[in-house]
Amino acid sequence: MTGRWSAMLRDPQFWVPIAVLAGGILVLVWIR
Amino acid sequence: MDPLAPLPLDSSRLRRLQLAGVTCGFTAGAWLGAAEAPTKMVVLGLSPVVISLAMVVGVFLARWSLPALLRGTTAIGADVRQAPHLVVWAIVAGCLWAVANTLTIYAIKDIGLSVAFPLWNANSLLGILWGAVFFNELRGAGWSRVVAVLGGAAVMCAGATLLAVASAAQAPAGHAARGVVAALAAGALWGTMYIPYRKAYLTGMNPLAFVTFFTVGELGMMSALALADRGGVAPLVAELSGARDVLFWLLLGGFVWVVGDLFQQYAAKYVGISRGIPLSNTNQLWGLVWGLLVFGELHGGTRATYAQVIGGSLLMALGAALIALASATGPEHRRWQEAAAREGERYGIDPAVVRAGLAGEGAAGPARRRTWLDWGLVTGATAVFVGLGLVARVPELRLGWGWVASLTVAMLALLGGTGVLLWRTTRFN
Repeated sequence: MTGRWSAMLRDPQFWVPIAVLAGGILVLVWIR
Repeated sequence: MDPLAPLPLDSSRLRRLQLAGVTCGFTAGAWLGAAEAPTKMVVLGLSPVVISLAMVVGVFLARWSLPALLRGTTAIGADVRQAPHLVVWAIVAGCLWAVANTLTIYAIKDIGLSVAFPLWNANSLLGILWGAVFFNELRGAGWSRVVAVLGGAAVMCAGATLLAVASAAQAPAGHAARGVVAALAAGALWGTMYIPYRKAYLTGMNPLAFVTFFTVGELGMMSALALADRGGVAPLVAELSGARDVLFWLLLGGFVWVVGDLFQQYAAKYVGISRGIPLSNTNQLWGLVWGLLVFGELHGGTRATYAQVIGGSLLMALGAALIALASATGPEHRRWQEAAAREGERYGIDPAVVRAGLAGEGAAGPARRRTWLDWGLVTGATAVFVGLGLVARVPELRLGWGWVASLTVAMLALLGGTGVLLWRTTRFN
């Protein structure tokens, strides 16, 4: 189980949606 | 034999899976496009964010009850135990959807639908990029198919632009730069949302399991955004309570949307995101058909407007046909299998589960019966819909009831036909 979670955190593909989500929230904060 | 080496599917099985995926994409478009229709019954001055939240509540109810009915929570639990990390991916995807949906509200307010829609509709191009870069989509497909998919998506974007220009009732005066940034950000979020979809389906997860957790992120993020927008729990509850006689229509819109989205998930699974996203983007065409025929929109419009509608519709249909005819062949599917094997290896998932998922088969195991939890979820969701339906008010709108009946029959025919095809081909795997 632990191995899967650490594999996810080391998976570069995981950070793409996280980064885009953070960017989207920043845009939302900016335009409101 | 290397246990992780992909076993090629026989060509007739691959063709059947591709046909099921393409059909799911078109049916998704029909149901996603119709989801707007019930919300048009809401003529009150509700906040757009609250309208979105109410729809997401309907989505949440549907996304827990339909999978329980079709597959059962025991089977969904077994799926999740194979790859529990995918729950996080599903929740992230739900959050992406909620933020994107909220951004589109502000984009429409600032720059109007005609400019905003084509900007966020570019999500299909981003989806093609992610599909090719991360999941080997369109690799080994041959130039003609790559050109057909890219060209089809570009033609659909052009058609969507024409339809959006025709649909725009008015050009709002707003903050142009802010609206453009909001629309582009929404497209980026929606295009990226398909990374978790594809990741889950390559790993062998069933779409019916994925959506139940997707909606947790969706409802959580949408609730947070609505609370921030309204300024706290009390004002939000007061607005929802004041709108209880129209909540049914919003929840119904969410329910219809979920039916479309389920087919979209199967399209993403069986034809990939590079083809699945553009095919389900035909929802704009269906939304326009409902608007024109049922709600009498564009009535008395200029010849230029009708020319834009006809031209845009033809372009969207042409683009969708190009993509539908460029389905994956054996060499490309083997590249998908390589990407799936890589995922299985990275996350330590049983190769048999990964292979079975991509081949549209269930992992071997005993048949599971529905439990009291399944029936409880279905009954609870039904009770909410019935309860809100009893207090719902039908607004005084002139509707084309004949067209309502015809379009409903067409949608049910698509639902039934595609459902049967999907069941026969994959058993909803």
